[in-house]
Amino acid sequence: MTGRILIRLLGIGLCAGLYGCAATTLSVDEPPKVAASQPAGAALLVPFEKVVLENGATLMLARKADVPLVALSARLRGGAVTDDPERSGLASLTASLLEKGAAGRSAREFADAAADVGGYIGSAAGRESAQVSAEFLAEDTALMIEMVLDMLIEPRLPEDEFEKLRTRSIESIKAARDGDPRSLMGLYGAAWLFGDHVYGRAAGGRENTLAAITHEDVLAHHRDYYGSDRLVIAVVGDIDTARVRALLESRLASWPRARSALPVVPAKSAVRGRRVLLVDKPDATQSYFWMGNIGVSARHEPRAALDVANTLFGGRFTSMLNTALRIESGLTYGASSRLTKYAEAGSVAISSYTATESTVAAMDLARDTLTRFHTLTPSEKMLDSARNYLRGQHPLGYETARQMAGHLSLLAFYGRDRAYEDGYDAAVAAVDAQAMARVIDTVYPTVDDLVTVVIGNADAIRDELTRYGEVVEMPITQPAFSP
Amino acid sequence: MMWLFLRGRRPRQRFKALFTSACLAMLAHGASATQTGAETIVSRTLDNGMKIIVWPDHDIPNVALYNFVRAGGRNEVPGISGLSHFFEHMMFNGTSTLEPGEFDRIMEANGGSNNAYTSADLTVYQDWFPGRALETIFELEADRLANLSFDPKVVESERGVVTSERRSSVDNSNFGVLYEQMRATAYTAHPYHIPVIGWPSDIEAWTIDDLRNYFTTYYAPNNCTMVIVGDVEPDDVFGLADRYFGALAPQDPPPQVRTREPEQVGERRIVIARDVQTPLVGVAYKSPAAADETGPAIDLLMSILADGESSRLHQALIETGIAVSIEPYRHEGFDPGLTWFFMTLPQGADPRTAEQALYSVLASIVEQGVTNKELDRAKRLSNAAFWRGLATINGKAAALGDFEVFHGDYRKLFDAPERYDAIDASAVQAAAASIFDAHRRTVGTVIAPDARTQEVQP
Repeated sequence: MTGRILIRLLGIGLCAGLYGCAATTLSVDEPPKVAASQPAGAALLVPFEKVVLENGATLMLARKADVPLVALSARLRGGAVTDDPERSGLASLTASLLEKGAAGRSAREFADAAADVGGYIGSAAGRESAQVSAEFLAEDTALMIEMVLDMLIEPRLPEDEFEKLRTRSIESIKAARDGDPRSLMGLYGAAWLFGDHVYGRAAGGRENTLAAITHEDVLAHHRDYYGSDRLVIAVVGDIDTARVRALLESRLASWPRARSALPVVPAKSAVRGRRVLLVDKPDATQSYFWMGNIGVSARHEPRAALDVANTLFGGRFTSMLNTALRIESGLTYGASSRLTKYAEAGSVAISSYTATESTVAAMDLARDTLTRFHTLTPSEKMLDSARNYLRGQHPLGYETARQMAGHLSLLAFYGRDRAYEDGYDAAVAAVDAQAMARVIDTVYPTVDDLVTVVIGNADAIRDELTRYGEVVEMPITQPAFSP
Repeated sequence: MMWLFLRGRRPRQRFKALFTSACLAMLAHGASATQTGAETIVSRTLDNGMKIIVWPDHDIPNVALYNFVRAGGRNEVPGISGLSHFFEHMMFNGTSTLEPGEFDRIMEANGGSNNAYTSADLTVYQDWFPGRALETIFELEADRLANLSFDPKVVESERGVVTSERRSSVDNSNFGVLYEQMRATAYTAHPYHIPVIGWPSDIEAWTIDDLRNYFTTYYAPNNCTMVIVGDVEPDDVFGLADRYFGALAPQDPPPQVRTREPEQVGERRIVIARDVQTPLVGVAYKSPAAADETGPAIDLLMSILADGESSRLHQALIETGIAVSIEPYRHEGFDPGLTWFFMTLPQGADPRTAEQALYSVLASIVEQGVTNKELDRAKRLSNAAFWRGLATINGKAAALGDFEVFHGDYRKLFDAPERYDAIDASAVQAAAASIFDAHRRTVGTVIAPDARTQEVQP
């Protein structure tokens, strides 16, 4: 119900690696031939063409014509890492305003033009990038590309729309605080774990930082941080790639580079010891808990070994965590573990929820499961199951033009080549017990070094939480995500 | 997804998205069965009455399998509310041949994943797996239909899981509690008034005998429709279906739901006092069942009202700052349902203002109709949604199943163009006039307790 709001709040952005290509380059990347009925491990990524313009803009183009649709995914390096801590949410507001009128169209005309052809255009900023995505019928390709380029290069960023959007963003955060706490755990977790570090800030801002942002801030943000060298744009679908390339080049070639350098994000090292943030929601009948520490960056290898490890620990229904907390004990509807990766290390965290009266039982069980994971000697059968699961489910992410456009823009964003995608299946197949043991040991914290957030009825659980470290408390209505 | 209760993770896709828009594609673009690949669909009904529909699609090496069981909240009575959904959970918890948990362990070890959902009308089981695992999956699906067992210890543990699910999606979700209470108010006689998750006291109290009776009554092959889309060949599927599902014994058809909801003759209102910063408002109008012939006109009406930033409600409520969000939802089931509007309001806002703004938009369509431009736009939006749905094996399986189950024939997905083509602006206006009747609506608000006190004071 509040899905769209929350996606923005939670910060969907990914980002990373450096890239630098002054000269125009062109490469056509062809995967192996794909048979009608594919054996496991066949290349899933479409053949694509990569073009880097002299001003740094990167184009990724691919034809995929099984349905008459086209998808576009643009990522603009930047996002919430550029936010001043007192004005967090600025990159997010700016990105959301892009669709509120651009070039010759007012906000209403812009929305109507897309709707008239049944198209969708959306924009948002995450942790490390602003993103524009679009999906439309093939016959409307020229119009929709024009509109996306208008948004990026010539947005109107009107003041009245800014005021409306800022107000709505603030009210949406209040609504989220009233809503399902499962949507808030990650926000509080990141804020409590990262503290003053830039990854601790909510990409969508919070009530009082949003209130501090002015219209001039938005104009300045676009002026300083938007530019050709920050852009990766992927278009996939029922297209003539040469024609789409020409459309993009004709506008993008003259777009200047961004004026301001991106901030350097320092890597945060793992937190030692234990501490607890208790977020008081007096009417809650469940406790929602998040326990984590600093994890790995998007560059981390071996990626496949970590995926296998996390699948076993908390990444699927029969994982150790879900087995212990749900299947065997009925304490919860779900328990999982998750890695969030950025250019620098993000978080690794367990999350679950349980009835207020079973808070300690569930949290103890989650911690015991983490300890058991550290001493796990996986059988060949167990490894086989996790590897098969990952390999069997992986192709489901490579079915649509939209998914492909997302993969291609990310690939260019990180400066990776297609081997990163094509080699995944073989890499998963090759993960053995030693490789897994190494990542468990190096990536997952032990129970002695856990940063914990609990959202729940503080009066009922305050005292017993002290066993997990020093407890700091804040009300859920406080306009912040850490004290 | 507040109207469904899922076994586990989030659904891969809103199953309804395709359903409402399926036909529009055809009319806007004259798309034929050939373009969609529909000519490759094969269906067969086994001797025991189980219908199987297969749509080969070799785009990725995977398969989506949906088993639609005609059992849901509407088949329940006081005392066993929520049993359909609890049963859905128990379908994963052991048979006379497989220990509890083995179903999931075998499926995941073979590269598959699964989920299931229960609605007021149906229980649907979903598997996503590599094509090479087809026989293993059939073995698992057939085993639980033939040999389900109820281990008392597992039943107790799963009761805890469902209680946690209820706490999460209803008790600790303001929209969840609003939806539950409004349904219980809008329906006085028909079992749609029962929450799909069940009332807490029933979740605590149902017995193993209740589960056994339920299994015998509803989980017969002649009450199931299976849809399989993906990297398979129909001949292989039917060969395996004969082997694994052919031996299941048919049962007498389940009893029909006899009760019809009496005509509503006046607005009903409820207030829920919760500690909220932002008030919520829900408005629900009585509206037709899924198979009603006015369905396409209502689909277009709802698109004009609430699809995207150009829509009438977005412009009237969001752009004006009256509401923070507005979400429409139409329940299309076997029996007449509800057409909903949910609004989140800014802190301190008066729910009555938002209500009035909503009503005046609805009244303007009842009185003045819609423009041809709006109608064309709605058709284009739905057209794009149709193709998005057909871009995945999951979307195809969901759409075929919805048409087969609610409209009686999966082929209606492909030959409804005429029905939609016939819709003009006057049909949309007529649909609005028939639904947006103040006497047939239920209104609910979630407001802070102190706001409620003020409201009831003279």
